[in-house]
Amino acid sequence: MTHLTMQQLLDVREPASSPGSQSARRHLEACQTCQAELERLHQRTAQLKALPTLRVPRDLWPEIRSEVVVYRRRRIAAWGGVGGLALAASVALFLVLGARTVAAPEEESSRAIGTAMAQSQMLETALGRYRPERRVTDGRTATVVAGLETRIAEVDRQLQVAGMMRQRVRDEALLSLWRQRVGLMDALVNVHLTHATNAGL
Amino acid sequence: MESFPLANADAVVARARSGDPEALEQIFRAFQTPVYNLARRICRTVEDAEDVLQETFLEVAKSIRRYRGDGSLWAWVRTIASNKALMRLRRNKYRDTDELHDEVMPTRREDRHLRMDLEAALERLPETSRAVVWLHDVEGYTHSEIGAMMGKSVSFSKSQLARAHVRLRGWLGEEATA
Repeated sequence: MTHLTMQQLLDVREPASSPGSQSARRHLEACQTCQAELERLHQRTAQLKALPTLRVPRDLWPEIRSEVVVYRRRRIAAWGGVGGLALAASVALFLVLGARTVAAPEEESSRAIGTAMAQSQMLETALGRYRPERRVTDGRTATVVAGLETRIAEVDRQLQVAGMMRQRVRDEALLSLWRQRVGLMDALVNVHLTHATNAGL
Repeated sequence: MESFPLANADAVVARARSGDPEALEQIFRAFQTPVYNLARRICRTVEDAEDVLQETFLEVAKSIRRYRGDGSLWAWVRTIASNKALMRLRRNKYRDTDELHDEVMPTRREDRHLRMDLEAALERLPETSRAVVWLHDVEGYTHSEIGAMMGKSVSFSKSQLARAHVRLRGWLGEEATA
């Protein structure tokens, strides 16, 4: 008597059985050896599901969090780059078409936002060149850096929310947030530079 | 591993979408253990499993806006984790010994008398077979889903599972006597 192969036994278990599994089922009804084999298969699967839960050996959240912060900073910086270019283009268009007219408040605020974005991007580039993630930092500096990065992440979050506001309110909010970001980025660059100077790097 | 508790999941996801780091941390804390277990069972080393855990939650942070909420949050996170773990297997393929295992293991004489526990036997399977066993038998993915994730056919997934069970049966000393 030919018994069912492992493949056939597994097919029998599948909810959507293949055409061949009909004859396999008929064989199974009559064969105690294959019934026992199928039972062992069920047991093995149940034992696999019941294997002990493995504990994560260490807390990985701080590393993931800082990677998320770096990713978001880069995205915002890229957004600043694109937004800055768009603003520069609109300012150029304004100068060509309407140099005789007095600038409207919206245009003034757009320019100011563009300036803040450009400053933020410049600091971001400077920090990117320094590659702080590859340098050894003492505990005190790391704490200050973590604090500043958390505040920058919060400003970035608010920038995303502000992007969805009505224009007038949005411009005011964006200007304020981009200026805050420049201040924080400036502080972050300074912390790294001070550390590098003290460490003789 | 069907589901994991995350109080006010909808509210947490909404906050995570707006970039709230605390909400992301809540998602991480809720799912880190099942993700790590999936990764550890599929990958060969603790280091690889830790990397998969990190890559999974970085991807969650990047893509949370794309999560539509039509399936459970765990199902979404688990698919990301499975893909990351399989990607790592492919990346490590150059040092993978699946081919060697496939040829050598069934003919090794001492295996006939070797009994081991299920955990050790699972660990001993070639990486691809182990991944298929875990994804199918424990996580509940279908052969069609596994095939798609691995970039292989349904029959590839089915034959890997069958070969893995034949080996497990032998190593566990469960071979039929009739």
